[in-house]
Amino acid sequence: MKIKNAVICAAGLGSRLGLDTPKCLVKLGNHPLIYYILKVLQDVPNIRIVVGFKEEEVIEYVRKIRKDVVFVRNPDYRTTTNAYSLYLGSHDLSEPFINIDGDNYLDEYNFRKFEENIVVGEELIGVTESFTEDAVYTKLDENGMIVEFSREKIDNYEWTGVAYFANVKISKLGKYVYQELEPRLPIRAAIIECYEIDTPQDLDFVSNKVGLL
Amino acid sequence: MTLKKRIAFCFDLDGTLTREEILPQIAKKAGIYEEIDLLTKITLQGLITFDKSFKLRVKLLSTVGIDDVKETVSRIPIDVNLQQFVQENQENCFVVTGNLDVWVGDFVQEKYGCRMFSSVAQYEGDKLLGIQHIISKHEAIIELRKQFDYIVAIGDGMNDCSMFEIADKGIAFGGVHEPVTSLIKMSDYVCYDSVGLVGLLTSINQMEL
Repeated sequence: MKIKNAVICAAGLGSRLGLDTPKCLVKLGNHPLIYYILKVLQDVPNIRIVVGFKEEEVIEYVRKIRKDVVFVRNPDYRTTTNAYSLYLGSHDLSEPFINIDGDNYLDEYNFRKFEENIVVGEELIGVTESFTEDAVYTKLDENGMIVEFSREKIDNYEWTGVAYFANVKISKLGKYVYQELEPRLPIRAAIIECYEIDTPQDLDFVSNKVGLL
Repeated sequence: MTLKKRIAFCFDLDGTLTREEILPQIAKKAGIYEEIDLLTKITLQGLITFDKSFKLRVKLLSTVGIDDVKETVSRIPIDVNLQQFVQENQENCFVVTGNLDVWVGDFVQEKYGCRMFSSVAQYEGDKLLGIQHIISKHEAIIELRKQFDYIVAIGDGMNDCSMFEIADKGIAFGGVHEPVTSLIKMSDYVCYDSVGLVGLLTSINQMEL
């Protein structure tokens, strides 16, 4: 399965991390987070990055890595959610796309694993063993289908921020991306290792992990 | 059954579709390259109005015969990816340029084959006498609204702002030089490469409104 389109949401302030820099530019090892995302997406022909907070800095850095990226502006990033950024980045896409959050870290192996699990015409959601605070948990049935999302710990897996959208159109007024997927459940899950960096603890945890890889 | 809504694409010419600004090339012919180049730069930065600058530049360049100008324009390098997109979508692509009809009309027809909105020259034979009308680019959008439901503007300079203001989507394109900041701030998308831009345009063109 070849992914043709990717939408990376990187507009947010990242206030819980408390650094005066967009989360996608926070360094993990030698490179900013977005570097690793672009690296796993290097064979994907159409890349869009939704930018907001300090958009000039994100654009300036990304242009050095890959010049054909389309930047989608979300000037209202302060008052809107990730779901709105994803709407902006995907509303004019009539083809399936992968969504990765700008604060996600996943390596080549796990990206390929996710990609191999994609079935034409079906949604696919990346889940990972839960470790973050404030997670959106996913309940899997015996066939590996997600049957429920919850803020309560109903299973050992959580929503990662990596998903493949084949049919679902993100609405303009949605609050959370997982809520856009809820009416479509059950949806197949791909169990991958993917880390979301929200807090200084997450950053330390993942930095150590990456150091070991 | 609902009718498919119609989408129009309005392209700036100089430095968007073309890989070079056109007026400085004409200026080379007139031996006043530096003067025109300076005027072009400060115009792109929005330090003087497009109207004033354009009048000045046309005045300075009016010593060159129209045919000579056309000959120079015909050799201006263009972006082939964008050319292909426009040629394949001639019915809903438009060139919207502040440049003069007599200077760039044939070039646009030959390279793109689409309709053009431009400033209008006063001329007699091969001699340029002055400017009859300087276009404000939003005029094109207003005109196209009669036919199209959704209008996308693509440009890089200060004079594209009036187009972005009333278009449904604005794409700031930095393929040739950095788009002016005011335009970026009004834009929905920013692209620095024509491959990425064509991908975006193709996707918008297929969108169901």
